[in-house]
Amino acid sequence: MSKLLNSIAGWGVNIAIAMTALRTNLMRSILTTLGVMIGVFSVILAVAVGNGAQVSVTQQIATLGSNMAIVVPQPDSGSGPPRSTDRGRLTERDGRAILRQVSGVSAVAPQIRSSVQLVTPGRSATTQATGATPEYGIVSNVTASEGRFLTDGDVGAAARVVVIGQTVADKLFADANPVGETVRINRVPFKVIGLLESKGSNLGNDNDDQIVVPITTLRQRLQTTAMQGPDDVTLLFVGFEDEDSLLAGQQDIKRMLRDRYRVPKGRISPFTVRTTTEIAETTSQVTQIFQAVLVAIASISLLVGGIGIMNIMLVSVTERTREIGLRMALGAKRSDIRNQFLVEAAVLCVIGGAIGLTLAVLAAAVFQQVADFPAPVGLDTALMSVAFSAVIGILFGGYPAIRASRLSPIEALRSE
Amino acid sequence: MTAPLLETHDLLKDYVIGGEVLHAVNGVSLTIKRGEFVAIMGASGSGKSTFMNMIGCLDVPTSGTLLLDGIDTKTLDSDALAEIRNRKIGFVFQQFNLLARTSALDNVAVPLIYAGLGYTERRERAQAKLEAMGLGNRLQNTPAKLSGGQQQRVAIARALVTDPLMLLADEPTGALDTQTSLDIMGIFQKLNDEGITLIVVTHEPDIAEYAERRIVFRDGRVIEDAAVKSRRRAVAG
Repeated sequence: MSKLLNSIAGWGVNIAIAMTALRTNLMRSILTTLGVMIGVFSVILAVAVGNGAQVSVTQQIATLGSNMAIVVPQPDSGSGPPRSTDRGRLTERDGRAILRQVSGVSAVAPQIRSSVQLVTPGRSATTQATGATPEYGIVSNVTASEGRFLTDGDVGAAARVVVIGQTVADKLFADANPVGETVRINRVPFKVIGLLESKGSNLGNDNDDQIVVPITTLRQRLQTTAMQGPDDVTLLFVGFEDEDSLLAGQQDIKRMLRDRYRVPKGRISPFTVRTTTEIAETTSQVTQIFQAVLVAIASISLLVGGIGIMNIMLVSVTERTREIGLRMALGAKRSDIRNQFLVEAAVLCVIGGAIGLTLAVLAAAVFQQVADFPAPVGLDTALMSVAFSAVIGILFGGYPAIRASRLSPIEALRSE
Repeated sequence: MTAPLLETHDLLKDYVIGGEVLHAVNGVSLTIKRGEFVAIMGASGSGKSTFMNMIGCLDVPTSGTLLLDGIDTKTLDSDALAEIRNRKIGFVFQQFNLLARTSALDNVAVPLIYAGLGYTERRERAQAKLEAMGLGNRLQNTPAKLSGGQQQRVAIARALVTDPLMLLADEPTGALDTQTSLDIMGIFQKLNDEGITLIVVTHEPDIAEYAERRIVFRDGRVIEDAAVKSRRRAVAG
């Protein structure tokens, strides 16, 4: 017990000795600490930004809707590049067949996408129009925060009505309530019937910069690219009841579409069926790589900081050889000398780490405010960085410390 | 307890300089009893400092035996030697060797850190030794704020703080003026009267006259070992 107390007291003394030594060369200590500080700062910020990207991507995928398959008429090339020669077709009839034949499907939302120009008196905006049916609202969780969403009546009548996103509303109507107003889309007058509920933005992708019109209206009045048939669509969203039926349904849809379009065995499907789960996994992998690269680059600055520590500790040992000799003469064991210099390096690192951590937390908060990008610094990141800087101290302070402890007392004492 | 404080048998220390072997200490056998006041003399290069470093456990002999307080130092590892330096030996150096920018009190307390004592006890003991050296009003002064004589007295307080068996002083008056040197020798005589063994290395014959036994080195060997005939007494200042 008393031995333990003594050893704790011993470390306390070492910290006191270290503080004195560091104060003696204050400028040098500050510059050395700066290196570690910058290193820890960049590593934490890199981790935070990586985490933020992960969160952002997860949110982005959540806005797509969960338990959903997306069918596009593009060749499923696996990991290889798509071959445009195999470009397939996709129709509303296919969508209806999927709803009928594939089990567990709750709704199918056929869509045509087209870029359009919107004009109100004195203002204009370019955005993406989605020609859709009411099912689009169900499958991908889209509702109107003001006014109303599309109805079957709108689609049946090919009504010139539009539901606009918040960003588009801001551009065209500023602060005024857009519902009930008229907007010209590609010169055709449309009545604004609703405002889409805001989904924010992720990774610079503004989810509110879009409009939704009835699929029939888009086909008749706004379509700019020619389709092969009268009910061709750009893509289908297929909503499933739960995750299990989604997994099974993905294969069923592929098989069914191959049959419908008589794709010979062995030939690549001219369709791609992706599930939101797959998209989430792929994107998550990409952001993980992104984070790893970021952290790797940031670690280089921490490494440089560590080398700075080693350099200064070697200088310190050389300068204080005589002091080391004296301490040995007065009874310091090798381990006492080694610990003294280890503690000195660790103190430098921990101070640098603490400042770096504080700055990184502040920077992450500022980043979040300015760039509207989440950069969470978790407790785990904070603890990791403090542990990391202590390890840097022990690693890079270790060699100079051991070198100091191996000095012969008399030679150290004699040195000038 | 009956064993002599220090016993050397055929102590030898070689240095290899430029491929040539130099016998810095070349077979020294002598005994120093408890409570003796010994002056070790000799020209520079005579081996007296090397001998001193070996009996102070700062340097290890090439061969021969060194018994300190009955312990054969050959059997000891570096930690055990550090402990002997800490508990049994007090060092006084020519250049005082105080830690700069560190108060007198903290300087004196350094050996107690390595003895494993707690903060309060370190301060109390260090303060008592400084007061005994007449420096009770200089506890917080750094070396830069102290005269040479005061600095050497701080160094003596530091050497005494662990209550060692012997004090080893290497040219303790080399950096001091005549009067201050006299004061220091007075302190040594007083300490010796109180029972501590003193070994002083000096090249000044009149400093050696304050000791009771004089050992003279030349070329690594003892050429003279006799009691001081007309011993001087200094009044401790």
